[in-house]
Amino acid sequence: MKKYTPYILLFPALALTIFVLVYPLIQNLINSFMDVSLIKGCKGWNGFRNYFNIIHDGVFWLAFKNTCIYAVLGTILSLITGLGIALLLNQELGKINSVLKFLYTIPWVISPVVAGFAWKWLLNDNFGIINHWLQSAGIIKEGITWLGSADTALICVILARVWQFYPFAMVMFLAGLQAIPQEQYEAASIDGANCIRKFFHITLPNLGSVINVLLLLGLIWSFNDFNMVFVMTRGGPINSSMVLPVLVREYSFVHFDLGKGSALSILIFSLLLTLSFIYLKVISQRESI
Amino acid sequence: MRKLLLNIITFSLILIILIPFFWMFSTSLKPLPEVNKIPPQWTCKGMSFKSYCDMFMYLPFTTYAINSFIIALSTTFLTLLIGSLAGFAFARCQFKGKEFILIVFLLSQMLPGASIIIPLFQLIRKAGIYDTPVGLILVHTSVLLPFVIWLLYGFFKTIPQEVEDAALIDGCSKLDVLLKVLLPLSLPGLGATALFAFLGSWNEFFFALILTESDTSRTIPVGIGLFVGEYRDVWNQMSAAAVLFSIPPLVLFLMLQKTFVKGLTAGALK
Repeated sequence: MKKYTPYILLFPALALTIFVLVYPLIQNLINSFMDVSLIKGCKGWNGFRNYFNIIHDGVFWLAFKNTCIYAVLGTILSLITGLGIALLLNQELGKINSVLKFLYTIPWVISPVVAGFAWKWLLNDNFGIINHWLQSAGIIKEGITWLGSADTALICVILARVWQFYPFAMVMFLAGLQAIPQEQYEAASIDGANCIRKFFHITLPNLGSVINVLLLLGLIWSFNDFNMVFVMTRGGPINSSMVLPVLVREYSFVHFDLGKGSALSILIFSLLLTLSFIYLKVISQRESI
Repeated sequence: MRKLLLNIITFSLILIILIPFFWMFSTSLKPLPEVNKIPPQWTCKGMSFKSYCDMFMYLPFTTYAINSFIIALSTTFLTLLIGSLAGFAFARCQFKGKEFILIVFLLSQMLPGASIIIPLFQLIRKAGIYDTPVGLILVHTSVLLPFVIWLLYGFFKTIPQEVEDAALIDGCSKLDVLLKVLLPLSLPGLGATALFAFLGSWNEFFFALILTESDTSRTIPVGIGLFVGEYRDVWNQMSAAAVLFSIPPLVLFLMLQKTFVKGLTAGALK
């Protein structure tokens, strides 16, 4: 084999990655120190002005808070739901099991855009089925504008996110559960342990590394997630459900301030880079590359 | 007894979880006056598949669907082609900088779309492919490539080196080994990877939203995602579009469920 063969094989992949992923990242960093407008073009350097403007923008801090709530709450709830359902599906159900597994995975297989659309329609204040049920059960008198009021919008989007994301956790947990040696349970049974003790002393410790990976991936992906919020609320009403990725679009393509948008995306990137390095550490502990 | 109870929970829970989907399907079958009726009902008189035709006739979903298919299929083809070359290099060759490049690919998977979109937008506009399927194919291919390479690298690694050595002794070139020995052996892995790439491109929303502006080059998710404000009250037709749009992913997933789950857990856990 010639010395440069691997580089030839890698060339197309590397070229695309550099052109579409690495170069924009560097250009983004440059943009963030410049006064660039989508309409007026580039007007030269302006130092840390963009970052300064962002830090003094109340919407940024609101979006930052919302993104953290969305990522943390969304991920933890998805993990709990996913683990619960994985435990249910891990029993012996016979042939029907694979059908059930498929059905439980549907929310994750369909596009997040469809998921957001379906939830938006379900939560519609006049014609949605949720308000109708709550009204007929006598819990509420008037229909609630779930996505139209600042108190409930973010929570509803998080619920939709959990609905859409839990199957990923479920699939990973199922794989993890099947890898637990059966002998451990048998030994525990002989020692007279009940279900709850078995869960906390055998199941959970064995799933430790799966949980780590899922937490990090979930946090990273949720932190980046643009779709659910954009489709359901566009960050509204009055920015009450605004998250950082949606705010980048807002700065750059609604207010036409590409410099400010770039500065914000650099901030998001640095946060995510930190998370990604932790992820890398966690998986390289599991298995050397 | 306890087992029966757990089974009942398992079966009823899925019905609850799928309510958003059922509700969307029910809406897609209703005529418009029934959609906007208070109180809402699950079924009504005159349910039919009429919205499914109307949506293609009155909304630009024919163009969207053609665009979605062209973009997703081209992306699948390109990522598989480029990805298998790179995956092969990683799995079978020793070279300088291998670990570093692998880690760059792994990290670029985590790259937030928001952090590259602005320069990408400027670049693509300068190149004259803004608002065209070509631009989206290029971006989707590059964005999906890192994960595809990791998946294929994993699959290629599982194929024993001996098979390859035997082929080399028989006088095959490295390229022959890739095309005639490795590729056929890793067909299941390639299938799962192709499915992943197709779904990734088919469902992709963020880049498709920002890198297009006219109906002639938009994809289906953009059409659905921008629904509010554009086609305000035709929830039945939009539901029909959303249901139809979900069929390819569901069918593909059903076909390749086992391989896909294996690939997913391998790709994400390795």
